[in-house]
Order: sequence, then C-alpha cells, then structure tokens
Amino acid sequence: MNRDFLVVFAHYDQYLNGLWNTLWLSAATLVLASITGCILAALMLARPRAVRLPARWFVDAMRCVPFLLFAYLVYYGLPELSLQLDSWACGLLALVVYHTAYMAEIVRGAWTNLSREQIEAGRAFGFAGFPLFGRIILPQLFFASVPVIGNQSIYILKDTAFLMIITVPELTFAASAVQSTYFVPFASFVVAMLLYWLVTLGVEASVKRVEAAAEMRRG
Amino acid sequence: MARATSDVAVEVRGVGKRFGNLQVLADIDFSVATGTTVCILGPSGSGKSTLLRCINFLVRPDDGEVYLHGERVGMKNGTWMTERELCRYRVRMGMVFQHFNLWPHLTVLENVIEAPVHVLGRPRADTIEKARTLLDKVGLAEKQDVYPHTLSGGQKQRVAIARALATNPDVLLFDEPTSSLDPEIIGEVLSVMEGLSSEGMTMIVVTHEMSFAREAADSVIFMDAGRIVETAPPEAFFTRPATRRAQQFLQRYVR
Amino acid sequence: MADLPLLLQGALVTASVSLAAIVLGIPMGLALAIVRWQRIPVLSQVVAAYVSVIRATPAITLALLIFFGSPSIGIVLGATAAAALTLLINTSAFNCEIWRSALIDFPRDQLEAARAYGMSPLLRFRRIVFPQVWRTSLPALVNEMTLLIKASPALAVIGIVDLTRAASRIGAATYQPLPPFLAATVIYMLMVMLLVGAQRFVERLVRERFDLA
Repeated sequence: MNRDFLVVFAHYDQYLNGLWNTLWLSAATLVLASITGCILAALMLARPRAVRLPARWFVDAMRCVPFLLFAYLVYYGLPELSLQLDSWACGLLALVVYHTAYMAEIVRGAWTNLSREQIEAGRAFGFAGFPLFGRIILPQLFFASVPVIGNQSIYILKDTAFLMIITVPELTFAASAVQSTYFVPFASFVVAMLLYWLVTLGVEASVKRVEAAAEMRRG
Repeated sequence: MARATSDVAVEVRGVGKRFGNLQVLADIDFSVATGTTVCILGPSGSGKSTLLRCINFLVRPDDGEVYLHGERVGMKNGTWMTERELCRYRVRMGMVFQHFNLWPHLTVLENVIEAPVHVLGRPRADTIEKARTLLDKVGLAEKQDVYPHTLSGGQKQRVAIARALATNPDVLLFDEPTSSLDPEIIGEVLSVMEGLSSEGMTMIVVTHEMSFAREAADSVIFMDAGRIVETAPPEAFFTRPATRRAQQFLQRYVR
Repeated sequence: MADLPLLLQGALVTASVSLAAIVLGIPMGLALAIVRWQRIPVLSQVVAAYVSVIRATPAITLALLIFFGSPSIGIVLGATAAAALTLLINTSAFNCEIWRSALIDFPRDQLEAARAYGMSPLLRFRRIVFPQVWRTSLPALVNEMTLLIKASPALAVIGIVDLTRAASRIGAATYQPLPPFLAATVIYMLMVMLLVGAQRFVERLVRERFDLA
C-alpha cells in the first residue's frame, strides 16, 4: 500500500494540474454565477409577473435537476442548436447556468431579510441612490450572505468532479487517470479526497474570518 | 428497597463546590427534619441553586456528604455512583424548577405520569388515577389532556408540582418556583406550596418570596457568597436577624 | 416512446439504490451524531474527521474510491453494493450534522427535569429527546434526501445504469438527446415532489396529533 502512495506522489504534477483546473473552474463559476445570480435575483423581485414568473420557474427547475443530467443536456444538446463547444466550455457553461439559480436564491433570500430599520435610518440621514446602496445595503447583504455563499462554493467545488465524465481534466479525472495507468486505486482516490478536503477547509476558514469581521462590526 | 424514614430527611455535611477557580459553595452544613419546610434565602449568586442541585446530585459536590434518610447519596463504597445508580435516589426527591421544565411533547397528564410509569415501573392505570387526583389537588383537573404550551406560567408551575408529587417523593426541592411568574399569578402557586407544607411534606425551598418563608417555613437558612451565614426560625430571622449581612439583606427586601 | 421501459428501469435503479441509502443513512447519521453529542473520547474525534472529509468529497470520487479501492483493503464489492455504500456513506455524514445540530439545540431545561426525576440516560433519550428531535430535524433530513437523489447520477462511473445514464444511452442511440433527458428531468422532479409531499403529510399528521405550536 505504501508503495502505491509513492507512485501517486511521483505523479504529483498530474494531480496539481487537475487541482488547478478544479480550482479554476470553481472560482470562475463562483464569480460568474454570483453576477448572473444577482441579475436573476433582481428579475425574481421585479414587479411585472411576466418577468418574475419565468425567473422563478427557472430557479425551481434548476433546483430539481441533478447537475450531471443538466451537464449532459448542455454537452449533448448544444450541438443540436449548432453550437460546437469543447468539453471545457460546456462544463463551465453548465456549472455557471446551474449555480446561477442557487446564487439567485441566496441573494434573493438575503435581500428579503435585510433589516428594514437600517435602510430607513440610512435614508433618514440623507443617503440615497448609489451611496445608499453602496455604503448601507451592500455591506449588509455581503456579510449576511457570506456563510451561505461559502457553503455554495463547496457545492460548486464538488460539482466540478462530475465534469470528469465529459472528459474535463479536473482533479478526479487526474486521479482516475493515474489509477487506471498504474493500478493504485485506493491511494489515488484517497489523495484526491484529501485535496478536496484541504480546499474545503480553506474555504471554511475564510468564511470564519469574514464572519469574525462581521461580528466585530456588529458588536 | 425498604424505605427508611427517620427523623432527619436530608442531611448535608461539609459540602463544597468549585467551578474552575470560583468557590461557589463552602462548608455547607445543615439538616432538614422530616415533615418540615426549610427556606433558603440569599442574594443572587450566593449559591442557593447550586446547593439545591447538590442535594439530588444534579451537580456533584467536590467536598462533603449528602444523606437522604440516613443513606449516603452519590457515593457507594468509596466510589462515585454512576448516573444510573443516582437515578434511584433522584426519583425519591421531587424537584420543581424556576422555568417549570415541562416536557412540551406530552400532555399535562402524560407529564405527570411519565416518571412513575417509566422510572418506577408503576402500572399505568393506577398512576393515571393518582395523577388525576394530584391535578385536582393543584386545581387543574380539567387541563389534563392539553399540551403545556397552552397554559399560563402559574398553571405550568402547578402541573410541575403535581408532577413532582407523582412519584411519592420523600423530599420536595423547589428552585425559585415563583421567580418566573407574573406577580398576580404568584399567589396561586404559593398557596399550593403552603398547603403541601401544612400537610407535612418535607420541603427545601429556594425563594425570594419572603411572605412564604415567614408563613410556611419551619426554619430559614440565609446564604451569602457560597456560605451559610445564619440559620434561624422565621420569627427570629425576620424580626431580629443576628448577623449584619442578614440585616442588610432584609433591609433591601422587606419594606 | 419505445424507450420508456429503459428509462423506467433506470428510474427504478435510482430509486432503489437511493432508498436503501436513505433508510440506512438516517439511523447511521443519528448514531454518529450521538457519539459527538455525548463526547465519547476518541470516537468523537474520529467521527468529526470522517464527517468533515466525506462532506468535502464529491460523490463521483467517493464512488470510484469505494468500487475500485475496496479490493486493495481486502473487500470485494459488486457495483450495486458499492453504489449503495457510496450514497450511504455520503448521506450519513450530512445526516450526522443535521441530527447533531438538533441535539445541541435541545433545551437543557427539559433534560434537567428528566435527570431530576431519575430518568436514566437511555430513558431520557428515548422518551424526551428523540420524540422532539426527529420532528425538528425532518425538513433538513428530507432536503438531504433530495440532495442524495441529485447526487446519484455519479454512480454511472462505476457501471450503474441509473436514470441519467439510461437517458444518456437512449439519446446516444437515437441521436436525439433532448427527449430522454427531459423525460428524465420530469422523473427526478416527481421523485423530489414525492419526498416533499411525504414530508408535508407527516408534518400535518404530527401537528394534528400533538397540536404543537
């Protein structure tokens, strides 16, 4: 068994490559889905029903569908629409579209839970428009959502692994490649798991830092 | 297990307790004669609640011994008792809490019969009969099938008293039973307690209700900073407190 | 659609493997949570580490480890057993946290009263803690069940032909991926709705019987 681990460590470059791709995909998804999620959340809170309802349906639909199924849909379905994208682009697209729905739900939740009183106080002191949004509303939204977004980023991280099925060379794909080449199944996947774990611990630690900062401000 | 009744229901000798560096109780010595009511008074933080919990070993004292009708509680043959062994003693002492501590998922009747049926193994039908009598005694017979959340504070506390009585305890321990109640409702609970006292129940009551202590207690123990400062009959304590701490305390409470 | 039976077969595989993991995963999660709640020495820390690692592991990676890795430690598992075990291990870690959070939040007052009346630890748990804690945990447990179903397509990598795999195969054979995928989506939605409906039913039953605020 120890020999197996040595073999795995000897191919650390493959793992690092896979890890890098995993992190890249996760970070890109997080950033892009946050932006589109905010937009979608705004649509969900819009007044006209013709805007609000389809947005709501989209979010509900995404939350009922398994990610892999959706990824397949994108991967096999886009060529039908004459869109030829490589597996990377398909994977990223699937991740972003899927998690936009979850991000939208998070932002919408944070928005509806905003403390009315603090906004009222802001307006009473003469804040309006952009300054109101930037200095009063946004910080609150941010601090309220960080733990949940931290949670969601772990889900994003784990969903990237599904992309190995459509041959995106992320971490699990790398582990699987090492495994099938050198026949070290236990060691190869255990190392991959530990890497996912380390990344998760990093995310959780960062969330705790932000929460501590929020506590200091709130008192 | 033969139930030994002696003249002394509860005896506390040299009990002390530390929480970290803080000495919460020290040199606690007193005894409670069977059939009497003892009230423990004192300012907040004097350790009254902790002392009460040392008697039924919800809190394990660091020093000293506790005896229930002559039997040592908490230690057997030089070793501390396990939770399960302590259960045998705890079920002989009923306890009434400041926040009632009723079990919300059970009806009033079910709350009262829970301990006798499941701890003592008494037959359910008999216990229900007895429980109804107890609920009638505390004035809540018609509430037997409702859930605790529908009751007022005073009603909840009276159910709690019925529950404590259901196991036929040797001693009743009260931890500030009226401190969470609205002033208008305190009376209904106190009258139940006074009734029990005059019927000869052995009671140890931690309370701020001076009127109750004056009327119903056979003996008053005054505590401060974890020690017993003064022990006296209520007459003597309230009219001629012997120690200065007791005098200061009474000045603040009794107008 | 001639392919419906194939799809339904896949759905059956998904449902049965998921059900096995759900049914076993709830008590297993409870057992793990109790170990941590009671602070049993050594075992507590082991459980904490286990839960932390498993919750961070993608279902695919775990499935690959269990199926391909188990012979290395002397256990031989068929694909279906490995699939059920993967989902079970995964869901038990999440269920542990759900149960644990409910146990930690359990009001100490009620436990104090139970102790004072001479109830043993086992009796306290059986009569006072569990009847209340399962009700507060129900929504989160059902949510985790839906997440389990959404993770189940990962099992395709170890050769299980679940609903998603079946849909993908049909699509590959007919060169029309859209219909089977959409049909599969509908079936997943039905499963989720079934679970949520069952939860609402149980909650209503409980509320009527116990009239809890």
